[in-house]
Amino acid sequence: MLLKTSLRSFFAHKGRMVLSLLAVVLSVAFVSGTLVFSNTATATFDRLFASTASDLTVRQAVDKLAADAHQGGKTRTVPVDTQRKVAAEPGVKAAIGSVFTETATLVNPATNKSVSPTGGAPTLAGNWTDSPRKSVDITSGHAPQGSDQIVLDADTAKKSDLGVGGHLRVVTMTGNYDFTISGIATFRTTNPGAALAFMDTPTSQKVLLGETAYTSIEVFGDGSRTDDQLKTAALADLGSGYEAKTAAEQKDENAKGVGSFLGFMKYAMLGFAAISLLVGGFLIINTFSMLVAQRTREIGLLRAIGGSRRQVNRSVLIEALILGVLGSTLGLGAGLGLAELLIQLMKAVGMNLDASSLEITWTVPVASYLVGILITVLAAWIPARRAGKISPMAALRDHGTPAEAAANRIRAAVGIVVTGIGAAALTGAGSVDSAANGGMLLGVGVVFTLIGFVVLGPLLATGIVRVLGAALPALFGPSGKLAQRNAMRNPRRTGATAAALMIGLALVSGASVVTSSMVSSAKAKVDKSVGADYGINSRGSSFTPAMVDAVRATKGLTAVTEQKSLPARVTGPDGKAAETEVLAVTAATFGENFKLPVVSGNTDTALAGGIAFPEGFATDHNLKVGDSVSIEYAGGRTQSLTVGAVTEKGSLFDGPFTTIETVGKAVPAADLPADESLYGKAAAGADKATVLADLQKSMEQYPQVVVLDQAGYKDLIQQQVNQLLYMVYGLLGLAIVVAVLGVVNTLALSVVERTREIGLLRAIGLSRRQLRRMVRLESVVIALFGAVLGTGLGLGWGITARQVLAGQGLEILTVPTGTIVTILVGSAVVGLLAALVPAFRAARMNILAAIATD
Amino acid sequence: MTTAAKAVQTTGTTAASARQVTKTYGAGETRVTALDSVDVDIQRGRFTAIMGPSGSGKSTLMHCLAGLDTVTEGRIWIGDAEITGLKDKQLTKLRRDKIGFIFQAFNLLPTLNALENITLPMDIAGRKPDKAWLDQVVETVGLADRLKHRPTQLSGGQQQRVAVARALAARPEIIFGDEPTGNLDSRSGAEVLTFLRRSVDELGQTIVMVTHDPVAAGYADRVLFLADGAIVDEMLAPTADSVLERMRRFDGKRTS
Repeated sequence: MLLKTSLRSFFAHKGRMVLSLLAVVLSVAFVSGTLVFSNTATATFDRLFASTASDLTVRQAVDKLAADAHQGGKTRTVPVDTQRKVAAEPGVKAAIGSVFTETATLVNPATNKSVSPTGGAPTLAGNWTDSPRKSVDITSGHAPQGSDQIVLDADTAKKSDLGVGGHLRVVTMTGNYDFTISGIATFRTTNPGAALAFMDTPTSQKVLLGETAYTSIEVFGDGSRTDDQLKTAALADLGSGYEAKTAAEQKDENAKGVGSFLGFMKYAMLGFAAISLLVGGFLIINTFSMLVAQRTREIGLLRAIGGSRRQVNRSVLIEALILGVLGSTLGLGAGLGLAELLIQLMKAVGMNLDASSLEITWTVPVASYLVGILITVLAAWIPARRAGKISPMAALRDHGTPAEAAANRIRAAVGIVVTGIGAAALTGAGSVDSAANGGMLLGVGVVFTLIGFVVLGPLLATGIVRVLGAALPALFGPSGKLAQRNAMRNPRRTGATAAALMIGLALVSGASVVTSSMVSSAKAKVDKSVGADYGINSRGSSFTPAMVDAVRATKGLTAVTEQKSLPARVTGPDGKAAETEVLAVTAATFGENFKLPVVSGNTDTALAGGIAFPEGFATDHNLKVGDSVSIEYAGGRTQSLTVGAVTEKGSLFDGPFTTIETVGKAVPAADLPADESLYGKAAAGADKATVLADLQKSMEQYPQVVVLDQAGYKDLIQQQVNQLLYMVYGLLGLAIVVAVLGVVNTLALSVVERTREIGLLRAIGLSRRQLRRMVRLESVVIALFGAVLGTGLGLGWGITARQVLAGQGLEILTVPTGTIVTILVGSAVVGLLAALVPAFRAARMNILAAIATD
Repeated sequence: MTTAAKAVQTTGTTAASARQVTKTYGAGETRVTALDSVDVDIQRGRFTAIMGPSGSGKSTLMHCLAGLDTVTEGRIWIGDAEITGLKDKQLTKLRRDKIGFIFQAFNLLPTLNALENITLPMDIAGRKPDKAWLDQVVETVGLADRLKHRPTQLSGGQQQRVAVARALAARPEIIFGDEPTGNLDSRSGAEVLTFLRRSVDELGQTIVMVTHDPVAAGYADRVLFLADGAIVDEMLAPTADSVLERMRRFDGKRTS
């Protein structure tokens, strides 16, 4: 019987359920979309790796330090006769000598622009072979033959508008080489976003390695032996100096690389799903509270004719269940759309995923329904319990329950205690030394203050809304006065509506404090530690000698400092080893380009044959000035250096510093890595802008090189942080959209609830315009209330997070007042927008019908 | 009577009139005629009651006269101004400036106190209430000590008296009451009706009241009887008994 009443009531109120439904749909869509997307991505890459991995790959074995020397370091090679040896192994069908590097830059000579991917995906340049398992097929033109032909992958070709017969320049450590495109290669499965270029084997060896060798031998078995057997035999035969990986091992290695990126995306997205669920929860609580309030008489009647408290309770929960099931189902579908959208988004940044087959495992519907139904039923539980508590006669007599003073006292006590704990944790977090402890306290503080504010919201509503709305009667006359009173009349509802908005805005304002502090701290570091006028960086690749010469030859540029980065193992007097990257710079000009304030010692003496360590590293490893440390570079080369200085924290250059000359004593010049970056100053009397332009001009043919002056560098920092910030804003925007739905929902239901009042007001002469303004102003007040709580909370979080991260380089606190003001003004606008439809509907009500409403 | 003379306009003797007013709902076979060519004049400074059995069209007539509902045919004037054909904006302004309302229930906004409710129409119009007049009205309805109370803190009778005070405070040309005592017990009802009577006698107010209660009609100067959408009778200086007697004849006619 009750099921029937629940069903009837659900469909009778379907209009009022729409917005709650939308909230459930959005949240569930995020959950299912994220799962489907990451499953699809993983499956795509698994297929790609499975289809291209050889049965066994043989490479030069190097120690970890050399393996870390990613760029500028020497490429790992194996001699050509290794291929013959491996090919002669029993069970080997084919052994292919492969040449592949990731350090080349592909340039379109016509535009002098790099065609390499910008999104962090690699540029793979190598030799075209007859591998039985190729990742690509040549779909037009032919394979490269001779020293001037190259094959380019179809995606890169399309992106840079190149085709067969077009020209392509390859910039490597050995020089610049011009090619004609002989063919276009298309991926068999999918292109994960990399740029691919193929030359014939001798050309690739000359261009990429500068020696006749292979980077690896790809082995394909004839099926008579397992991959592991092949591996054991090959390693035994080749002797030391080699490492071999089976297909399974290669797959794992590749998957790990991709997985960490996808994993980050997955957890970030699930985090946002959680936020939108939380926000959606408030919306559901509000909807059901209002439905229960409206149906008080109906419930009273049910109770009077013998319905038990539990039955009433259950009838509300069944409605929630219907909502949850419906919302989850729609959300599941919308999630597939979202996954598709994410795949397209990835395509736009250069990662191509196979969108033709979305991977929907059983976990997707299970997680979606679980999340959707659980959150709906939980959120409806509170009003349902309240409904059950109403005594039958009270319910029949009147609608609306009187304010419960006792409940408010409990609420106040709980809210103050929880907020207090949170505030204490935040205060503690700011003063704790260790970043790990600080982070934990910060987390506790954020969660507790958030819960505390949510609990206190309804109590704060009365006070804050009175202040916020104080000017309304004076500014907007009777509409303002009525709006202010309306916003205060149901503090619980106002509180819950505003809480939804508060969460999103708190996160936004917290994030904005942290990021603007990041920017200002980084800029301050530039001022503090950079003496150079110009920094010259080569994204992802290294400087060739020709490039260094070109920099040095630039008119008006002096004091050029080269900087190399060497992976090293540092062993201090305590005998403990630590891995780090030692920065080696040109001794003569170092002092002009780098400003390194010291805690102790002297950088000049340190760099005259010794080494300087940053404060953090020195503290962690008990190093002090005068200590002797042993440093091991790649290839087992070792030297002993004296610590000459400990440099202050908060420098842009945060590594152990020594000179190229000093390192050169241990590492022969031929084995030194290429320069990572270059620095220089404008000569006395030279115009800085002219020198910058000249420098950029001399680097014109190396599009991978970025030349920046200090201002340009600061802009770059700003841009990078902004990118991060916009992503966060974009996703939090969703939480705010859900919150806005909440405001719309509350207003729409309030308008329905106050039908008779509206009828009365219209009868005694309130114009439609005044009525619309009344609804709008109430909406603005609620939105502003949420914004005030949210920015307050967010500022607290942001300021504390900055303190916790002070040791990590966030030394300067910057509160972005512009952003905060924008948030507040934006909230008012959001309030206006949210009120559009409810205000319109209120104004359109028929006066007589409204007055006659029960 | 000096204040009363200020309270109402003295031009003409009719505060509201209707000519050939017809109101129908629906079309074709389901067409229902609520008012059928009604002619009526409401005299200024008098207390008029409209009576009739359920469905006779008495509420519809009042709603049309008050500009809350539109007519299908015919014309209506408030004072000298014709209201048929006015747009919503003009009607709203008319209600605000020239008409007072007392409904059967839910007359007051719960968020405003008694005084704020009384001055609400003037607030909406952006006018300052006339302090002396307001005091007199409040005095007349006997609410001086309850002005700061919220509606929930007032009894049903007190709430209706606040509603009467609100209707009087703006000095409208005419007050319409839609069963203003329908929700009250007889004692509270008598109180409210006494105030309405006094506002006519002492303040010179024009009042039109729809009721089905002969006792309430007994307070009026004139009773109009409606049946089947037409005015079928009229009674001057009615008493509860004479009205009851007249109403019985409706019942008799219906059963015969």
